[in-house]
Amino acid sequence: MTAPSPKPANADILVVDDVVVRFDTPDGPVTAVDHVSFGVRPGEFLSVIGPSGCGKSTLFNVIGGLLGHTSGVVSVCGETINSPHQSIGMVFQEESTFPWRSVTDNVAFPLELIGMPKAQRIERARHFIALVGLDGFENRYPNELSGGMRQRVSLARTLASEPKILLMDEPFAALDEQTRLLLGDKVLQIQQQLKQTTLLITHNITEAVQMSDRILVMTYRPGKVKRIVDIDLPRPRTSEIVGSEAFGRYVAQIWADLREEASRGMRDEEEHALHQTGAAS
Amino acid sequence: MPASAPVLSPVTLLRLVIILTVLAVWEFLSHSGWLYRDVVPSLLAIGRALFDLLAHGEYYFNLAVTAGEVGTALLLGGTLGLIVGIVLGANRFLSRAFESYLYYLGPTPKIIFFPVMIMWFGVGPGSKIALGTLSCFFPVALSAAAGMRQIDKVLIRVGKSFRASTAQMVFKIYLPAMRHPIINGVRLGLGVALIGTLLAETKLSNKGIGFLIIQAYSIFDMPRMYAMLIVLFILSIGANSVVGRLGGLDSIKRS
Amino acid sequence: MTMAGTTPRRRVSLGGALPALTGLGTLIAFFAIMEVLIRSGGLNRFIVPPPSEIIASFPRIIVEEQVLSRFVMTLTECLTAGVMLTIVGVSGGVLMQRFKLLQQACETWVAALASAPVVLCYPLFLVIFGRNAWTIIMMGFVSGLPPVILKTLEGISGTRKVLVNVGRSFNLTPTQQFWKILFPAALPTIFVGIRLGLIFALINVVGVEFLINFGGLGQLINELAERYDLSGTYAAICFVVLVSVLFFMVLEKAERWLTRAE
Repeated sequence: MTAPSPKPANADILVVDDVVVRFDTPDGPVTAVDHVSFGVRPGEFLSVIGPSGCGKSTLFNVIGGLLGHTSGVVSVCGETINSPHQSIGMVFQEESTFPWRSVTDNVAFPLELIGMPKAQRIERARHFIALVGLDGFENRYPNELSGGMRQRVSLARTLASEPKILLMDEPFAALDEQTRLLLGDKVLQIQQQLKQTTLLITHNITEAVQMSDRILVMTYRPGKVKRIVDIDLPRPRTSEIVGSEAFGRYVAQIWADLREEASRGMRDEEEHALHQTGAAS
Repeated sequence: MPASAPVLSPVTLLRLVIILTVLAVWEFLSHSGWLYRDVVPSLLAIGRALFDLLAHGEYYFNLAVTAGEVGTALLLGGTLGLIVGIVLGANRFLSRAFESYLYYLGPTPKIIFFPVMIMWFGVGPGSKIALGTLSCFFPVALSAAAGMRQIDKVLIRVGKSFRASTAQMVFKIYLPAMRHPIINGVRLGLGVALIGTLLAETKLSNKGIGFLIIQAYSIFDMPRMYAMLIVLFILSIGANSVVGRLGGLDSIKRS
Repeated sequence: MTMAGTTPRRRVSLGGALPALTGLGTLIAFFAIMEVLIRSGGLNRFIVPPPSEIIASFPRIIVEEQVLSRFVMTLTECLTAGVMLTIVGVSGGVLMQRFKLLQQACETWVAALASAPVVLCYPLFLVIFGRNAWTIIMMGFVSGLPPVILKTLEGISGTRKVLVNVGRSFNLTPTQQFWKILFPAALPTIFVGIRLGLIFALINVVGVEFLINFGGLGQLINELAERYDLSGTYAAICFVVLVSVLFFMVLEKAERWLTRAE
């Protein structure tokens, strides 16, 4: 990618405008995402944070074009999204490498789809494998790698399609805390290096504050935008920043917002469970 | 499902279409004269043979003979298999010493042992029971051994933490926890015991369902042969699902 | 794993060779005791010949009864059935997965067929195909078909949702989605189905050869038994058991090699 020159804030590359997602469930319709609007600026790292059940994964699927929405508009560079768009590269929460392909073939997958000649796509794949720090593992298969390494393969595969926007859904959720922090550093470094516009869905406050330029806090069901917080911490950042005082203030501020929502979620779940056992017996 | 469905569901409709098409093609073939006479008898002839079969006591007598043989085989082979399986499942050393023999002998063709069984147990029901027993021993033993090892170790620790006695451990922890693999083994065992017994009957016997089938073949009574195969398939599929249902295999969501 | 019993594959610190030696030792001891019992008259030698006699009749069987050409014959029948059930079974499974309605209508039928004693149709097949190799091949084919269909179906439907979503996120066409995601994801399960299908095919091919007294190894046992060649019958049975065990081992190796990446 070429380095984009600084653009005015209103030239958002991704626009989510008044999006509503409603599901029909046996208990009646449920609003998962409720009139959510925000924009992502070129080169920006934006995180969406919220308690479980706030519809952030639904939002991920809608932006990625995997899930339809009830009303509102999602657009990338002015193009409305109704199905998966080549400008958006998705990294999933679950283990999503292809077990039948080597690391190189996994990463070369999107290049294969656009018909790039074999020699060329292997070279490109190697570039992205090196970028995520997996050089030396090109010919290994996913079952020979650790969970963190496999997630880096998924990341490299998505980056290889050179998306305008990198869309990630809790990519580190299944990893242990230390791996998660180190991997966070890696993602941050790559993001800065490529000036990659990134939208991260997470429930981890530390992770969000460490990486983001802005954080969007969502409310518990129905998921609405509660607040957008600018994170004004110096870059380049690493996981060492976690110890700083400014960092702590941001974490406290966001936790104060989230706490209310999370406890509402917990109460709701308790009531739901109580209701269910009551109905069953 | 919605409460009122006046028209047939698409699935039922497709099933009906498939069945009717097969029957129509069958009837057409039977009247076309393209095939040897009676290879494809008309549906009417098969229906008549089915009625004849079920209306005479002779069939029920032979059915009882076969059922008795299969039942005895299942009881003998199943019990033996269960004991061997539990011992192998409980003891890692024995399992490593002997289980691979069972594993590889399990899927060998059993009917080839029939000449030996005749020498040992005679031409009567004994050799058929022996073949059925031999067939059903392996799947029951292997399932029980695997089931024993699959028991969640934490359940055993829970039992021990409550200081359960050995008998209590067996009846309150081990057996309930292994119920599904055992039932599954019995299901497989029933299937192969049935096949072993029936095949032995077709080879050498003077009573039983297998004998009736081969008798129909030797006098070239095709409608009767079709009728017997139809009844046999219905009975064995039914028996299989009954065993499965007894073990609650259908209702279980997590294996 | 999907089969009822799998070989214990865990390597634990139980002194590597000791259990295997115990197993082998017990087997040898068993044959030695049999030998002694039969020679001393404790067991009737006209029912069970001494193991040494069985071993001694192996060369005779191999030379005089053309065991090798019989073996090739049985193997050819079995592999022909295998090719047929792979083609028909896998495409049947794929078809059923593609058309949900077909799956809903027919899956239970196939499962029921798997639990029915299909091999009892051999007299019927004898009438339809005549006393030749096709009766045997078709019997092997029909009895091996259900597991291939069911496992293909299970493999494709069981593809993890996230892999399907990865494909969608890259905007794959339905054809690409099938060949690049669903089919490779299902392959290990399909191989299990084909292995099961081939095992059933071998069992039924040998069984029907024995029953209709035609063809390869199964017929050999029948012939020797009818000639009251006692040690020959036992030797032939041992030979068939060894061949089938070898066949399963080769199939397992092949399957593990094919799915080594998983």
